[in-house]
Amino acid sequence: MSDVRSGAAPRRPKIVGFLCDWAVSPEGISRADGTMRDLPNVTLIQVPCSGFIRPAWLEFALRNGAEGAFVCGCPLGDCFNRLGNNLIGERVTQMQRRLERQKIHPDRVATIFHGLHEQREFVEAVRAFSDRVAALPGPVVPPARQPAARPSPAQVPAAAGQGTPVPGGSTSGGVTPGQAPPAGQEEA
Amino acid sequence: MYKRLLRRLLNWTLRLDVAINRVYPTDFNPLYYTGGLANLFLTVLVLSGIFLFFYYVPSFNEAYTSIQFITNEVPYGVIIRGIHRYAADGFMIAILLHFFRNWFTERFRFSRDEPWISGMMLLLFAGFIGVTGYVLVWDQRSEILVAMTGNALAAVPLVGGWLRDMLFGGSGLTNLLLPRMLYLHVGPATVLYILLWWHYVRIRHPKVWPPAVWTLFSMGFVLLLTGLVPATSQPVASPVTTPARLAVDWFYLLPYVGFKYLAPLWLVALAVVIVAYGLYIPYQLPETESEMGLRDSGIAQVIDANCTGCELCYYDCPYDAIVMAPSPHPGVTKAAQARKLLAIVLESRCVECGICIGACPFEALELPRLLEKDIQGKVLNACRT
Repeated sequence: MSDVRSGAAPRRPKIVGFLCDWAVSPEGISRADGTMRDLPNVTLIQVPCSGFIRPAWLEFALRNGAEGAFVCGCPLGDCFNRLGNNLIGERVTQMQRRLERQKIHPDRVATIFHGLHEQREFVEAVRAFSDRVAALPGPVVPPARQPAARPSPAQVPAAAGQGTPVPGGSTSGGVTPGQAPPAGQEEA
Repeated sequence: MYKRLLRRLLNWTLRLDVAINRVYPTDFNPLYYTGGLANLFLTVLVLSGIFLFFYYVPSFNEAYTSIQFITNEVPYGVIIRGIHRYAADGFMIAILLHFFRNWFTERFRFSRDEPWISGMMLLLFAGFIGVTGYVLVWDQRSEILVAMTGNALAAVPLVGGWLRDMLFGGSGLTNLLLPRMLYLHVGPATVLYILLWWHYVRIRHPKVWPPAVWTLFSMGFVLLLTGLVPATSQPVASPVTTPARLAVDWFYLLPYVGFKYLAPLWLVALAVVIVAYGLYIPYQLPETESEMGLRDSGIAQVIDANCTGCELCYYDCPYDAIVMAPSPHPGVTKAAQARKLLAIVLESRCVECGICIGACPFEALELPRLLEKDIQGKVLNACRT
């Protein structure tokens, strides 16, 4: 239950989950506002089919404050609409490569496939995803690169703003200036 | 009551899935490939049937001996005969599993009534072909089958005798009987492929074959059965001795068991009622709007200005509900300016699943009651809390 790595209570990153209407039933595991009963940091949004999700919406969630986003569909091969879950699986895999190019960690998005009655397994999978996201380093979205010619006073408050949600986890450095170099190192 | 029963059946079906998924990875769950398995067995039946057709002689005197000849003299004849026999059972099992599974999981909603009705036709034809196949062997079972079918048809008021004569080529056993049965065995088998076309026509990327593992396993199982329990005929039919009992093949001759308990007329009526009900299933319980909720988000709409004619939605729509038409005018956005094609949603085929929305990277498709901005609003709300 407790997070051994930091010794503190486990960090609960904000996570947005898209839930197929035919897949896991949200009855009993979510509250009226969509947050999950066991994991209040996770909000479920119901959609008619997992194939309905535009991968761009996962990225939209990441860019608007969520630290992770996932899609839950029926077990592969058993989509009510025949192909929806296979398609979203492929689309998310493709999007992970695009995210990597934008210096967003690809593990921040995921697909989970569980059927109507597999609520326990579903909650476990979401918990595992939540823990994995909590352990990921750095800000969700890297600070926008500024043109080299212009001095960048605006970047400092922006980076500080990005840094604030993290300190609870404070795994690697965690200090605001320390977060810029990894991005730079990857480029080099 | 009925609804509750259906829901419970759905729950059991899904529980069974979960149990099987513990054993196999979901890609190999045989219950996800019942249709593919049926098609596999059908292919095997056609191939082995062509082989048997070369040797079979449809006449009272030679039908039985020709099948004995196939079994005893023709190289591999006994194996091919056994395969034909057991693949037929496998075919019926796969069809019934497919039928019940799609019934209990309600996969007949919206425009999927056509696969459902063509599937019912396939089931009827498959059963009919099976019965004619048992008649072709012309052993005692065949004889009693002909007698029972004749009685049942003759019991229908007004047209009964005429129906029987049409089917058997006259009252009593005429020389036309076996040639007719041979035709009614092969002809409807050909019709199965026409029905299969109807079954697939609104489906994109149908899963026509099971995974290779299950192909090999089911073929191996059929071969094993062939080796362990070779298909045999009963004693030859003769007009002198009428057999008292019917040796039942539970997958094809199950309706004939009813003769024990019901008068022929009632049995025919019951069969008609069952078939009529089967055809009515997709229309029986239309879901109300409140039951559908999200699932009734309106038919997908193409946003003309944004569509680039890239065909992604066309390839991904599982029901072939999107067609690409030559674009009558250029789009508005920069990406859509040079388009040659325009996506069009066929309303009669759309099931409102929204898979095309997920396919479209140009924001050119929307579900009217669940717009992209609604979703984005929900995402923002979720991030704020």
